Amino acid sequence: MQELGSFLEVLISGLLAGVLYSLVALGFVLIFKASGVFNFAQGAMVLLAGLALVRALDFLTRLGFPGWLAIMLGFVFAALVMALCAFLVQRYVLGPLINQNALTMFMATIGATFVIEGVAQFVFGSEVYPLRLFPTDAWIAAEATFPGGILINKLDVWGGVIAGLLVIALALFFQYTKTGRALRAVADDHAAAQSVGIPIDWIWFVVWLVAGLVALVAAAIWGTKLGVQFSITFLALKALPVLIIGGFTSVPGAIIGGLIVGAGEKVAEVYLGPFIGGGIEYWFAYVLALAVLMVRPQGLYGEKIIERI
Amino acid sequence: MSSMSAIPTMSALASTSEILLAVENVTLRFGGVTAINGVSFDIRKGEIRAIIGPNGAGKTSMLNCINGFYHPQEGRITYKGETRQRMRPYVAASQGIARTFQNVALFKGMTTLDNIMTGRTLKMSANIFWQMLRLGPALADEIRHREYCEEIIDFLEIEAIRKTPVGRLPYGLQKRVELARALAMQPDLLLLDEPMAGMNLEEKQDMCRFIIDVNKTFGTTIALIEHDMGVVMDLSDRVVVLEYGRKIADGTPDDVKSDQKVIDAYLGVSH
Amino acid sequence: MGQFKTSYAKDMVIFPIRQDRIGVYLLLGFALVLLPLMMAFHVPPFRTDYFLLAILLPFLILSLAAIGVNILVGYCGQISLGSGAFMAIGAYMAYKFGTGISEIGLPPLPIVFAILLGGLSAAFFGVLFGLPSLRIKGLYLAVATLAAQFFFDWVFLRVKWFTNYAPSGSVSAPELKFFGYLVATPVEKYMVALIFVIVFALIAKNLVRGNIGRQWMAIRDMDIAAELMGIRPLVAKLSAFAVSSFIIGVAGALWAFLRLGTWEPLAFDINRSLELLFMVIIGGLGSILGSFLGAAFILIVPIFLTVLPAELGIPITTGTVSHLQNVIFGGMICCILIKEPLGFARLWQIGKEKLRMWPFPY
Repeated sequence: MQELGSFLEVLISGLLAGVLYSLVALGFVLIFKASGVFNFAQGAMVLLAGLALVRALDFLTRLGFPGWLAIMLGFVFAALVMALCAFLVQRYVLGPLINQNALTMFMATIGATFVIEGVAQFVFGSEVYPLRLFPTDAWIAAEATFPGGILINKLDVWGGVIAGLLVIALALFFQYTKTGRALRAVADDHAAAQSVGIPIDWIWFVVWLVAGLVALVAAAIWGTKLGVQFSITFLALKALPVLIIGGFTSVPGAIIGGLIVGAGEKVAEVYLGPFIGGGIEYWFAYVLALAVLMVRPQGLYGEKIIERI
Repeated sequence: MSSMSAIPTMSALASTSEILLAVENVTLRFGGVTAINGVSFDIRKGEIRAIIGPNGAGKTSMLNCINGFYHPQEGRITYKGETRQRMRPYVAASQGIARTFQNVALFKGMTTLDNIMTGRTLKMSANIFWQMLRLGPALADEIRHREYCEEIIDFLEIEAIRKTPVGRLPYGLQKRVELARALAMQPDLLLLDEPMAGMNLEEKQDMCRFIIDVNKTFGTTIALIEHDMGVVMDLSDRVVVLEYGRKIADGTPDDVKSDQKVIDAYLGVSH
Repeated sequence: MGQFKTSYAKDMVIFPIRQDRIGVYLLLGFALVLLPLMMAFHVPPFRTDYFLLAILLPFLILSLAAIGVNILVGYCGQISLGSGAFMAIGAYMAYKFGTGISEIGLPPLPIVFAILLGGLSAAFFGVLFGLPSLRIKGLYLAVATLAAQFFFDWVFLRVKWFTNYAPSGSVSAPELKFFGYLVATPVEKYMVALIFVIVFALIAKNLVRGNIGRQWMAIRDMDIAAELMGIRPLVAKLSAFAVSSFIIGVAGALWAFLRLGTWEPLAFDINRSLELLFMVIIGGLGSILGSFLGAAFILIVPIFLTVLPAELGIPITTGTVSHLQNVIFGGMICCILIKEPLGFARLWQIGKEKLRMWPFPY
């Protein structure tokens, strides 16, 4: 029972950490579906959102705003920053590159990544900023079944709940709003959508904005866990293997992929790590993705592409 | 400049009765969609064979099956007396099947000359170590094949653009470079997918002349897809007509022209 | 005045235009003879070791690595975010071959062979991680190469065998003897790097303008059409991975032996990979010359950002410098991709054409 208990503990903490990967991956999927752009900058956007949020909070608290108001205003400010970011990226990077091949777009987003990281740190600072939005203490469950119970982080649970709500909200947005429908049309076929009068610039802006807001949520949870700092961008890079596993075009794929990666790397670290030197969390996700690529190139939920010429 | 010696000067080679390629009962499906449904026809050595039909009839899919890009679920393709199972496109290429594409598929970042030189890839033999040094066999390869490509360039009258990146060429010239690239492979069977689509009258006339010249001078067997009925009737020896993935007629241009099914399906629409 | 060629051989030399040829000879003469002499006799501005060790040596070695990256990304169109890992493989394996592998009874090898074997090892793993490129395209490959990056970061940090079980995890270079000649001074290191760069740049140039180079470019521009023309994707892609990783591996070995003198995984992390990618994009995708121009740009910007404010008396922290540098690099990437996708090399070419027509632009 002891072993099973600790295994469950590792598994649950891994799954809940995976939720964060899912959140970042979700941002990628949204942009990829709507514009075919593989957005390397998603991690930088998490950093930007986190820095904007935490610095605004600090500033407002110092001015003597009550906590709840400071948090609300802080989120509004960060959301505005993300909107500005979305606007600038669309206007000056992707707009001029429309109809270029995917590789060019991808490299442009790497360029955008560096600009966003540079500007974010230049404007908001480059230290580690603690963020306290959610309770971070642990919580002991199932004491009756397992001796010592299972240790669960409250923050991780919060993260799971918020991510769930976000996915529901996004689904409703895509399904029932006019912009959401237009977005799906653009995702299906750029040129056809344009020809029926859907303004593609506006749609791309909306997509980048939504991805920015998803990044903001991820930053809030991650920032509470680790403090807002530059290394967040590396964690966000793990969303790439998540996408490979889940498939580039599938929202459920992003969620499941995130959970698989989160749980897989924790379990591997704890049970495999001691035998081969530890620290395998660093690469596990990527090598797992590579294995998936060899077996099923389109990912778990991706669509198989028929090539034409 | 060297002489035209590398190009075999054959006398006008009327279509013989020898069969170069035979397609038997080929069926190709994509998921639930049947693109080609039990089609059979043959291509005789030395002839110009046209494949016509309305949009979506499965013409391009048929070419894709012939050169190994698509793998039909049923049926057989016999080429040069050899019935083929699944094969990779480069194997088809190495057996002498060359191809041009409906939407120009040139290598956009390369010059006209380099594009045409890629057609000689299969004929080059120097290994990578000689290529590193660009001496000996590698240099000999480069010069020998450059000479051959220059002859094709002369033949198709594109001398002035040989060092121009093809991405900067107008559409009509791009089509011509594509033909040059296919000819550089010295194919036995040349597949042309709408060689005249999007061209103006003058360009079409040039292209027609080149196709006939290729057929007559090199003796190359040609299968072509074309929408311009006038062109098809003038150029081709025999015509096969597809509609919704099925063959509805097969014969000389005159036979096909008077076939009621063809008139209903295709020619009935005013052109 | 027109220059006419009387044979295809003359039309196919590396620099068909006479002025270019003269320019290259002058440059080579300067780099091989004049510069070392100036260094030896302390002629300004090449008086200090700083210029050689901090500017020229990194420039040469990173240019070499950029040529490797350019073969894969610029010529063959296969994106790579893991070049740093292949530099690391070259560096660590060259160290192992240079100090001998006792497990298989291999004595320490002469340094040139060690470096080349380091390159070969990198080529081997390059092909291994290039295998997914046969099944997947474009962006998926980015993740495969990232996997190489993170995996090898970890390997060289954790597996003590690579550093001969040195307790600190970091080792320093063995004696640098090239064919019996001990290389110790900055000028000598510079000469070694220069010779490697000249040889490999020439090899790379020969490959990209020959049969295999055309196959790479065909795969890059239109892979399906290439396959239908008889180009085997397997051969073209894997040879690009092999040649590219080999050159990157050799550059990695040179970086460790000549530039750092020590071995540490940090020198070959993902930032190095991105830096190399930036050099290639800014300098010019699909251009050997561009690899040099890009490397120069990426190296000059930080120096410029540190020196200029200091000269003007503006206080600037190293943090600010690195942020500004990021903004400049990132902005430059976007700018190049939008305005001139073929980078500095293309600008240089256009400039030359304009100059040749000058003063009558028709």
